[in-house]
Amino acid sequence: MLLELKGITKLFDKDNGVRDFNLTVSEGEFITLLGPSGCGKTTTLNLIGGFLQPDRGEIRIKGRDITHLPPEKRPVSTVFQSYALFPHLNVLENVAYGIRFYRKEKKKQALSLAREYINIVRLEGYEKSKVGNLSGGQQQRVALARAMATNPRILLLDEPLSNLDASLRHSLREELKSLQRQLGITMIFVTHDQSEALSLSDRIVVMDKGYAIQIGTPREIYFYPISDYVAGFIGKSNILTRVGETIMVRPEDIKMAKNAQGDYTISSIVFMGQHTEYIISAENTTLEVVVVGKENNNFMQGDRVNVTISHQLGQMGNEDISLVPELK
Amino acid sequence: MQCPGNMTLLKNKIIWKGRGNKSPLSFDVLIDRIMLFLVVGSLLLFILYPIFMVISTSVYRHGVFSLDNYRDLLSPGNLKLIKNSLFVSTLSSVLGTFLALCIALYTFLQKERIGALIYRLLMTTLISPPFVSALALIMLFGRRGLITYNLLGLSVNPYGWQGIVLLQTLGLISLAAIMLISALNAIDKRLLLASRDLGASALQTLHRVILPSIYPAILSVLFLLFTINMADFGTPIIIGGKFKVLATEAYMTIFSAADLGKAAAMSVLLIPPAIIAFYFYRKNLEKNNSLADGVKALGGEGLDFRLPLFIRIALGTITGLFFFLMLLKYGNIFLSAVTINVSGKLTFTWKHIEAFQFAYLPAVYRSLSMAVIAGILASVIGILLSYYTHRRQLPLMKPIEFIASLPYIIPGIFFGLGYIVGFNNHPLLLTGTTAILVLNCTFRHISVGNKAANAAFENLDRRLEMAARDLGASPVRILTTVIFPLLKSTFLLSFINTFTACMTTVGAIIFLVSPRNVVASVLMFKDITNGHYGLGAVVASVLIIVTVAVNLAAIKYLGREGGKPYVA
Repeated sequence: MLLELKGITKLFDKDNGVRDFNLTVSEGEFITLLGPSGCGKTTTLNLIGGFLQPDRGEIRIKGRDITHLPPEKRPVSTVFQSYALFPHLNVLENVAYGIRFYRKEKKKQALSLAREYINIVRLEGYEKSKVGNLSGGQQQRVALARAMATNPRILLLDEPLSNLDASLRHSLREELKSLQRQLGITMIFVTHDQSEALSLSDRIVVMDKGYAIQIGTPREIYFYPISDYVAGFIGKSNILTRVGETIMVRPEDIKMAKNAQGDYTISSIVFMGQHTEYIISAENTTLEVVVVGKENNNFMQGDRVNVTISHQLGQMGNEDISLVPELK
Repeated sequence: MQCPGNMTLLKNKIIWKGRGNKSPLSFDVLIDRIMLFLVVGSLLLFILYPIFMVISTSVYRHGVFSLDNYRDLLSPGNLKLIKNSLFVSTLSSVLGTFLALCIALYTFLQKERIGALIYRLLMTTLISPPFVSALALIMLFGRRGLITYNLLGLSVNPYGWQGIVLLQTLGLISLAAIMLISALNAIDKRLLLASRDLGASALQTLHRVILPSIYPAILSVLFLLFTINMADFGTPIIIGGKFKVLATEAYMTIFSAADLGKAAAMSVLLIPPAIIAFYFYRKNLEKNNSLADGVKALGGEGLDFRLPLFIRIALGTITGLFFFLMLLKYGNIFLSAVTINVSGKLTFTWKHIEAFQFAYLPAVYRSLSMAVIAGILASVIGILLSYYTHRRQLPLMKPIEFIASLPYIIPGIFFGLGYIVGFNNHPLLLTGTTAILVLNCTFRHISVGNKAANAAFENLDRRLEMAARDLGASPVRILTTVIFPLLKSTFLLSFINTFTACMTTVGAIIFLVSPRNVVASVLMFKDITNGHYGLGAVVASVLIIVTVAVNLAAIKYLGREGGKPYVA
């Protein structure tokens, strides 16, 4: 195991902090901490980075206890939210900073090593630029290069893509993933964006109110969420009860068929391009349904439909759905 | 992205920072501790200890605890002095605050560029050695005054309480107006719009919104002026004639009677108004802070806010008159430096400048080096204090920071006296050295750099320091490679404030100088009290020119760095 967090607790007050957090990370893994703001994900990252001391528990890297090491002595580096680039230094000096102080290289050697990392993130030609004059995407690359330049065992990333606009976020996400694959860097990534988590991670830690609710691969988290909270946070979901058990059904797993005597009425249609979202309701039941493709052209608001649900427990028809407690 | 061949290094062995882990006291940590110790230790020794010594001196007589010093203050003669002090200080503080408020309102309601110009002029008039107003008054309106005697043929007697009130009022208007303008600028402009929108006229808005908003600031200014005027011994000595006040008596007691116990008791009496001023100042700050979370992006531009014409004319006249008097003052100083007024005729002369060159250059040089050293020390200590208090949030630093702010609020005469009684014996024998002047000036002004650094730290992302640590920098390295480079403009700001104050101060250091370590401002004060007005004018001119030059250089540098030329 590269990194082990054992029973980490850090409470700021009754409601804020991290409680009894356990996680093991292997070499080369990409782990995402996912949750809403205030769930403790950045706190967890800061505990690993050494900026906070846990109240209880221990942190080990390669079996060695680093719980009480200060940040400047830990073999981890952080890419901070909003990057925290030094505004009085240029790109090259920013990247060389950690090489000088962490790797204790001489200034000249540090600057030449820094150039290599600047090349990796494709910022050749910007070495002498003031960081304040760079675009958001370029700043993000500088932050990445600066953090990687210390040769960290683990790279910690605190919502690194959240300050970028949508299309840039998308392309940088791809780059980050391929960089991680090629260099084999272990990364721990904090985000509140479910699509980032699903697309980037080897494993996702879903957090809420300081607790790690579920740890698993993106597929496990998406298809087999252990609670309605997890199901609701990642994607849309219908929570149904069938013969005494509560199950979660994703909207895309529900098939609609037009039927003049159908049990459900389409009460709302939102066209999203790639797919269309429907809300359909029966007497005391409301379901969310997603349909992909041109088939959508068949449905109009007010149409009556019947549904079939493909679920790992078997097919369900209208009659199987006894109760729908709430729509998530 | 490409993966270059040498990138296998990312899978290298972990670089453990071996040596540092074992001993908690690495070299850098040691340096950090030493700096903290020096900051805290120096503040205790050079601020708290002298203050304590003044109070202790005031309650001991011949080595025995007694309140005789205070009882003597209530003798009929002293009561008369206290009454005089209260009368003069109250009158000049109220007048000064009122006139400053008029100027501040006028500035606030101008278009941005005119407002900025007035603000800059006010800043310039802050650079004024003390008592040059008195000098100007005597030379222009005195018995042989340029205007009263030469032009109008009158022989007016300027000496007496009226002269004191006039000079104290005029002397502090710039400072008061600058403080009030800052308070006015802190008002959320949307409040004014909302008030107009809800049907109030401009005058009603002034009455119901603007004035209530800056009420704590007005009180703070009022008590600050009161404190300064109560402690002002120079103006009454020069212009008071037979009219004596408490501060003058304290000054005389130290110099001629050398009765330090009595002087200490007198200066303790000056403390309560200072504390009240400080209380309102803090209250005002808190209020501004609690309001500061709203957006204040909406500037004065485009905001239609016109007071009735007669008020605008009144405010404008007061502002104009003030600057006219300032022009007269500075003009007279420069003129007096190169002229001599013989039997009603003004004649050009090199006499004063020659006399100055002959005897005063070492003192000017000493002033300059004292102000430079004090400026640097005060700024560094102020920034470090702010760093340890608010950035590192070390325990017990808040009270230390409060101690650092004390010399700024207590009268200079009190602080000077503290150094006399505190450092006249082994092992702390500093009397008569240049060091005691530098220390006094330095620790008098820690507060300026400290406050400026606090404001700068508020705007500095904590993650910058986290990033630096993450990248392997020790706390000391973070100071040298991140904090100080980023606080360059804060440093400079604090430096010019302290520099200016030290170049022109008399109050605190006059008791600390001897012929061995005399500085220019004190020489000027002695010249004026001895009637050598021409020579005094030369010293004043030199002090003004040097200080303005340094200020301009600093502002220019700040402008190039992209920092604000001043923090109001």
